[in-house]
Amino acid sequence: MNTENTPRSNNKRKLNNKESFVMITTVIFVIVTIFLIAVSFSVSLKGFKRKDEAHEFDRYYVMITDNYKSDFWKSVYRGAYAAAKEDNIYVDLLGENFSKNYKTKELMKIATASKVDGIILYADETKEMTELINEAVEEGIPVVTLYGDNTRSNRLSYIGVGGYTMGREYAKQINNIIREKKTENSAEGEKNEQDKGIEVTVLVNSDARYAGENIQNIIIAAMQEGIEEENADGSEVSISIKTVDNTNDFSAEESIRDIFHMEQVPDVIVCLNETNTMCAYQAVVDFNQVGKVNILGCYASEPIINAIDVGVVYATLAIDTDQLGEKCIKALSDYYESGNTSQYDSADVSLINKSNVAEYMKKEDAQNE
Amino acid sequence: MNRFLDRPLQYKIVSICVFANVIIFVVNIFLLLGINSMSTEMEMVYQDNRHLNRLTNALSSVQDSMTEYLRSKTSDSLKTYYSSAQRFSNLTEELDDRVTDLSFGRMERNIKYMSQNYLNEVSLTIEAKRGRNVEKYRAYYDNATELYSYISEYITSLNLELFVSNSEHYSELTKMFRTYEFISFIVITIVMGGNIIIITNLVSTIILPLRKLVDSANEVAEGNFDTELLEISYNDEIGIVTKAFNKMVISIKQYIERLRMSIEKERHMQERELMMESHLKDARLKYLQAQINPHFLFNTLNAGAQLAMMEGADKTYEYVQTVADFFRYNVKGKTTEVTIGEEVTLVDNYIRILNVRFSGDIGYEKQVDKRLLGASMPNMVLQPIVENAVNHGIREMGDKGKITLKVYREDDNICISIGDNGKGISRENIEKILSGNWERKKDQNDNNGIGMDNVISRLRLFTENDNAVEIKSEGENKGCEVIIRLPFEEKEE
Repeated sequence: MNTENTPRSNNKRKLNNKESFVMITTVIFVIVTIFLIAVSFSVSLKGFKRKDEAHEFDRYYVMITDNYKSDFWKSVYRGAYAAAKEDNIYVDLLGENFSKNYKTKELMKIATASKVDGIILYADETKEMTELINEAVEEGIPVVTLYGDNTRSNRLSYIGVGGYTMGREYAKQINNIIREKKTENSAEGEKNEQDKGIEVTVLVNSDARYAGENIQNIIIAAMQEGIEEENADGSEVSISIKTVDNTNDFSAEESIRDIFHMEQVPDVIVCLNETNTMCAYQAVVDFNQVGKVNILGCYASEPIINAIDVGVVYATLAIDTDQLGEKCIKALSDYYESGNTSQYDSADVSLINKSNVAEYMKKEDAQNE
Repeated sequence: MNRFLDRPLQYKIVSICVFANVIIFVVNIFLLLGINSMSTEMEMVYQDNRHLNRLTNALSSVQDSMTEYLRSKTSDSLKTYYSSAQRFSNLTEELDDRVTDLSFGRMERNIKYMSQNYLNEVSLTIEAKRGRNVEKYRAYYDNATELYSYISEYITSLNLELFVSNSEHYSELTKMFRTYEFISFIVITIVMGGNIIIITNLVSTIILPLRKLVDSANEVAEGNFDTELLEISYNDEIGIVTKAFNKMVISIKQYIERLRMSIEKERHMQERELMMESHLKDARLKYLQAQINPHFLFNTLNAGAQLAMMEGADKTYEYVQTVADFFRYNVKGKTTEVTIGEEVTLVDNYIRILNVRFSGDIGYEKQVDKRLLGASMPNMVLQPIVENAVNHGIREMGDKGKITLKVYREDDNICISIGDNGKGISRENIEKILSGNWERKKDQNDNNGIGMDNVISRLRLFTENDNAVEIKSEGENKGCEVIIRLPFEEKEE
């Protein structure tokens, strides 16, 4: 029996090997098939970002500006957006998504009707604006004014820049220019002695004329004060105000070019917003007045910084836009948390001129990276 | 697996087909489900736009009906207003009011709230108109119209935005659909390949025993019955056939073995017969050579016997008769086998002749079991032995010599003992005689020519036993005894 069994069991083992091989292949095949099915199925259902999957926010604020395309407002919006996101709030720069360009007041109406949770508004001192703000507040929507205030309204808070600080800074720069001119003149001799006085033109937006408390007025007042302190007699400096028509999109540029058509081209042009700075800069270049006309700009967009670098713009005041946006969000959040917030807050302002422009550029580059 | 392989062949083949088909079916079902879900997704792509269009229609119908009512104040327009306001309100309810990071999600939310505001404003307008409050309803109407324009604008913008995003989505889906097609193709190809491999393997596993059976059958057909027995792998039909085949191979082997054995036996028997005959012939030849013309001798002897009778010499008559009988025994032409009784008679005759020759010198003692006398034995055996005993044992002893013949039964043997009290034989000589190495002396003429070796070999052939002959001798002058052992067979009793 035994002798017969051994070769047979050997055979059996060989056969069993084959069987187990077949079984293993079958199992592997079934697994592979299931895996393939899973893969193809997952491809077919690969997620599309639907509304259900999108992140949901607790609150919804809108930011209303006069021009959502401007670098300045975009940069403020970025600051606000980043700050809001941390608190799980979404901020929209209203007007971006419309095919039509709405005015600030219209956007204000839309925001109110949309029952947003908070409005950040670049306001002016018009009566109409006051009414709109009040209407929104009546609806229970807190309104924070940004950069431009409407003091008579029931707005929650005003976040701006220190107009006085800005004015004094401009004055300091004008005095520097005067000093430079003086040394230049003395080096050239007494040839142009009768031409000693320096003309300063401040570009003022036309819509600022409605009310006395506008930031532009504060800046101008502080600037005058600063210049007078340095030059007690005031004979050397004459400050004029040029109103720039900004009621429509292209009028500002026209108004600024008008300056260069005048007989007496000013020595210093002080611009109080980004658009004006850009227009003045371009005009100086176009009229070949580089070196003769000094521009004091506002805001530090890339072209302006480059202009400082090449010496067309004398200096610019950079507003910390991130901070500006952040403070708006903070004011609204404070309102929701404690029911109140401070009436006024301001963002920092820093001066950029030829001496620190390189540093600033480097810093920007680092930030962008 | 084993349990599966033990099933009937039909079951196995059907199972394999079913398995392959089920796999393909399942894969196809899933691929179809995938295609289905993708096409559903595609159908849904522009759903949002359609919804917004419905919303726009509802909105304008509210606005129109309100305007119509304000203009003409007909109850029809009021009815239209109510129904369209309801419809619009329902549609706005469906809008999602969550704030998400998707711009159209937020737009939807804004549209929802603005629409609610608008509906409010419109209903106030209608109320004021019904109350004939001209101033108020104008103001409300203006508000509502303004809101209407904003909402329309909002919806248009949202529509555009959605269209852009949906178009992207659609092209993404189309791309994905292409990818899916490709993947499906690969999946189906792989599954088909896998199926082929599995079916091949399974079928070869099932067929393997059959192939072995075929090989083995071919081998057996070529005459090799010593092939290894096939192992019965599974209890299917092939297993049953294999089992039967194994049984057949075994029984063929057994049959062949039995046949071979019987042939062998027969051959052996024939060989023995032939040998016996040849030995006997040899003995006879030698005898005849010695007695040149026995017939002449018989006749002579018979004539002598008759003469003695006529003369009244009884003893002479008896002697001559005995001599005649003795020689006739050899010439009778008998077969190789005779009975013990005949042999014993021959010995009696021989002794009697010798006693006459040597004047009664030899003593002869006989102890015979008469029941055994019928048993057969080879002929010409006892006489040569006795002759030997007389010639070499007791010849020189005169009347003291004595021969003893015994026939008796010992266990299953018939023993025939021939003893003498003569010189005896040395042990070496016994060995020599039994092994057939004894050298005969050439000048020995006084025997009838049949040597011990012939006797011994014939006995051995007859009994098929090498120990059929035994020679005993106690030593010098102590005599010798030759014992023949024949197998005892019942029937001869």
